[in-house]
Amino acid sequence: MREVAVLGVGQSTFGKMPEISAAELGRDAVLAAVKDAGISPRDIQVAYSSRLYDAVITSQDVLKEVGVTSIEMINVENACAGGSTAVRGVWKEIASGHYDLGIAIGVESMTTSPIARKLIPPQKDDIEGQLGLTMPALFGLLARRQMAECGATPEDFAQVSVKNHHHGCLNPYAQYKKEFTVEEILNSRMICDPITLLQCCPNTDGAAAVVLCSMDIARKHTTNPVKIAASALLSAGYSWKRKDITSSPLGVETARRAYEMAGCGPEDIDLVELHDAFSTEEILRYEDLGLCKPGEGVAFLRSGAPALGGKVPVNPSGGLLSLGHPLSASGVRVVAEVTTHLRGQAGKRQVQGAKVGLAHMLGGFAVGLEAGACGIHILTR
Amino acid sequence: MAERVPIREGTFREGPDGGALLANKCKACGQIFFPKAKLCLACLHEELEEVPLSKKGTLYSYTIAHMPSSFFPPPHAMGYVDLPESVRVFAPLKIIEDKPFDVGMEMELVIEKLGEVDEKEIIGYVFKPV
Repeated sequence: MREVAVLGVGQSTFGKMPEISAAELGRDAVLAAVKDAGISPRDIQVAYSSRLYDAVITSQDVLKEVGVTSIEMINVENACAGGSTAVRGVWKEIASGHYDLGIAIGVESMTTSPIARKLIPPQKDDIEGQLGLTMPALFGLLARRQMAECGATPEDFAQVSVKNHHHGCLNPYAQYKKEFTVEEILNSRMICDPITLLQCCPNTDGAAAVVLCSMDIARKHTTNPVKIAASALLSAGYSWKRKDITSSPLGVETARRAYEMAGCGPEDIDLVELHDAFSTEEILRYEDLGLCKPGEGVAFLRSGAPALGGKVPVNPSGGLLSLGHPLSASGVRVVAEVTTHLRGQAGKRQVQGAKVGLAHMLGGFAVGLEAGACGIHILTR
Repeated sequence: MAERVPIREGTFREGPDGGALLANKCKACGQIFFPKAKLCLACLHEELEEVPLSKKGTLYSYTIAHMPSSFFPPPHAMGYVDLPESVRVFAPLKIIEDKPFDVGMEMELVIEKLGEVDEKEIIGYVFKPV
């Protein structure tokens, strides 16, 4: 397999923009990524796009806006891990030698989708969903176990939101650039006890794109390319095998595969972008990724390690909580964010001296399964 | 009288004893599934037999939602109840004022009307504190 580099990254503004179509959001991200890569849109040989709502031929829909037609275009869906799936698709194409340069696109226009202003609806045959098990309810149930088993407090959960909103204030792309105190987070409207409104990611429109290429091509553009050291994607196992819902066999195994492929361990990671759809969730993911020992996520948070300036900053972008979560875009956006840090171009939110970064995304829910899919990319420079 | 329809055919039975949740059990490896599985998802054996589940279990986790769901106005509670058969069931929970939810408390099955859809009564399962 060939080594694959990230040549260019781009994203649209994130926010509520019902007047802008998904194709236009995608176009803005593609143009930014192509410009960043220093290539012409017509250098793109293969495209993978991910989109969940109202989605058909998203690659074609986006790329026709930038003068690209008549190449191989593939459209994927994997719930919130769809973006990771698109990145991995292009990675495989280049690693295997099928193509030398391609683009992964993630785009979602939540405000114009059929679920605008709503929660992600359960599938029609999902009896648990019909009985009330929404995403915030699921994470409320998880949070209750985090409190029972790991000594987490509502203040700990709120602190994750305080941290990520602080990071978001430093990111020009963030949907919400506002600092909050623990009290303000806890006093916001209760959604699913103990999760309050300001601990839920918002509905967001946005797109992200990354240009990947062979190392040969990358070296013609830069002397120090960002390399994809690992690409791992895994579907979840049955939930009846889980005694303890706060541990994630899916997350742990995906991370294990990624670390093995990259030839490194969690101790080598300088920054992490991960799926913080709810503040409570971020603490679980510290443990999945091995940033701390199982059960020690709360202590890891309290130590300050995941804050900017800490040992392993987590979600320096502001995360889904503050930057926003256009579902299929997020898996691409985290790869773009990590790349930006490894290049030292992240401005006020820069993780100083970052050499190795991890981009995680998780998505989907079905009765009987732990989740849908988990995607992890490890990038190095 | 409005027609009564179960929220999902085959997930429970009603009766003078209060009814029961219905799972199925693999005849080869003994794994129990709720809701029922077509084939054993552990060993792939194709013969499974219906088994009623215990009516009482312990509360593994709970949350109180402050927004409406398909059948319930806010606030409404839901949780996971661990049954003695090593089955964890997700179900709506009945809020009883002087019995606040607590992880580990004993819960009991109730089969009842959840709501009405198209003038039909939707019957389902909930758990309440014992």
